[in-house]
Amino acid sequence: MNAPLPWFIAGPLIGLLVPALLILREKQFGVSSSYRFIGGVLLPKIPYFSYHKDGDRWQIQFALGLILSGFAAYHVFGAFDAVVVQPVLDYEKLAMNIYDVKNGLQFFLGGILVGFGARYANGCSAGHCIMGVSQFATSSILATVSFFIGGLIGSFFINPLIF
Amino acid sequence: MLKFIITFVLGFFFGSILLASQAFSWYRIQEMFHFQSFHMFGLLFSAIATSAVFLYILKRNKQKSIYGNEIEVKPKKLEWKANLFGGLIFGLGWSISGACSAPVYILVGLHWKIGIILLAGAFVGTVLFALVERKLPKA
Repeated sequence: MNAPLPWFIAGPLIGLLVPALLILREKQFGVSSSYRFIGGVLLPKIPYFSYHKDGDRWQIQFALGLILSGFAAYHVFGAFDAVVVQPVLDYEKLAMNIYDVKNGLQFFLGGILVGFGARYANGCSAGHCIMGVSQFATSSILATVSFFIGGLIGSFFINPLIF
Repeated sequence: MLKFIITFVLGFFFGSILLASQAFSWYRIQEMFHFQSFHMFGLLFSAIATSAVFLYILKRNKQKSIYGNEIEVKPKKLEWKANLFGGLIFGLGWSISGACSAPVYILVGLHWKIGIILLAGAFVGTVLFALVERKLPKA
């Protein structure tokens, strides 16, 4: 992969999803509630999952679009493994292929924290950072600051130990 | 069916932008947390600014949805302990996996082995939360 789509094009296009989802679907932008929806389908006996989940059904449809975009990119452009940005200082040695399954355990652990944290914080980088902050919601601004503090800790102190 | 197609196409569009801008990439996320490039910050800030402008316009015009209903936009409820502690946990996961919720799905299509592992992890995390949520400090 060569140069990325510049941020000043990609960012506004992502921002446009917010009015698009409101006008075309009457939904507030977000992604992580899809995990709760899956829980509602697979484990409805757990109280947290026995909720009125129809309101979240669209997130699965949205997620299917996300999956297909990755699938299409793989078949059109080949492996994106080579997305090596400016070698990140401490990670130079593994700037080869982070998505190798030998890193599976680390990714599994990261996934658990993403799933748990998104539900606990009541949103992720889509629902809080973009949708929530653009409403100037206190909850979302607080969550976004918190995401970054957690991210700094993980990126600086945990990743060098586990990768 | 129409609703499904609309949502699916928007998801595909979102994924394509995250792929083209490389925002889905573990490397871009590390780069962001190490403040080594403006790319991800510019992307997030311009997405937020665009969204804020359109939310203002929708409100001012009392814009209706294509189904003819008033568009309601509700802020997420402030539960400061949940936002703070949940945010820290999510941030840790985001930096370790280099993926937030949407890139997890993209990776399922792109690198299905690691993608499925990530998705399984995210689901396990969601189930763990569901099992303990009543005991967690929230507001």
